[in-house]
Amino acid sequence: MSAAVDCELTVKEEEGFLLHLSECKECKDEFEDAKKTKMIIKEKIVQFKAPQSLFNSIMELTSASSVER
Amino acid sequence: MDNPDPTRKVTPKTKKESLSKEERQKQLEFQKEAVVHLNSLYNYALHLTMNPSDAEDLVQETYLKAYRFFNSFERGTNCKAWLFKILKNNYINRFRKNSKEPGKVDYDLIKDFYHSIKDVQNDTSEAESDYFHSLLHEEVHQALHSLPEEFREVIQLCDIDGFTYEEIANMVESPIGTVRSRLYRGRKLLREQLEGYAKKYGFNTDKDQ
Repeated sequence: MSAAVDCELTVKEEEGFLLHLSECKECKDEFEDAKKTKMIIKEKIVQFKAPQSLFNSIMELTSASSVER
Repeated sequence: MDNPDPTRKVTPKTKKESLSKEERQKQLEFQKEAVVHLNSLYNYALHLTMNPSDAEDLVQETYLKAYRFFNSFERGTNCKAWLFKILKNNYINRFRKNSKEPGKVDYDLIKDFYHSIKDVQNDTSEAESDYFHSLLHEEVHQALHSLPEEFREVIQLCDIDGFTYEEIANMVESPIGTVRSRLYRGRKLLREQLEGYAKKYGFNTDKDQ
């Protein structure tokens, strides 16, 4: 089920899975729910922007070794 | 003194210049490949440490290490996955040892965090008319963090960061089958939690009625 939601099934597995869904309402419902849950996480978990200071210090870190003075 | 040699080979001076040119190349590549994932890494670190300043330290350490070992990064593979793996190892080595008991989450801190930062995602998602849309970011976050760590981790890596099962398996050092079943069980738990919230708002989540 999870693999189906994440598109991790092989072509053959997917065929079998879809065939099963077409005749099993219970699994079909569960599949829809599982997809929805995945979507919720994706949409509702806020992704923060890294602080500018962090970005700056990383740029600095990665160039420090080449500064030749 | 002049040096008329027309075929002049690399003089020490130009050699040095070309060295630092290489270095500059490396920097550019690093920025293109690795630094672009800063936000993802920062969020991952936040989820792990639950503390913005620890998260910053962790990310900084990760990039430092990644830069040092950038030559060993296999070109063409997923750089984000490579960085996550480094970050995770750093986290385990450095933070987990002397940190509070695992799984202990400072909800107040997260709450503050959510309130202090404007939502970066705009709610433009297709207006699906179901209860899920009434859920608050904070609630989903809490629900996710109420899961046992091994479930939360794979859900996060899969749904938020979009890694493949293979990449996740490599990161959490477990077989793919384990990743699969954790995802399945974790999502199920999560759904129960979320439906609990939805009920609180008076939405009927029972399909059979």
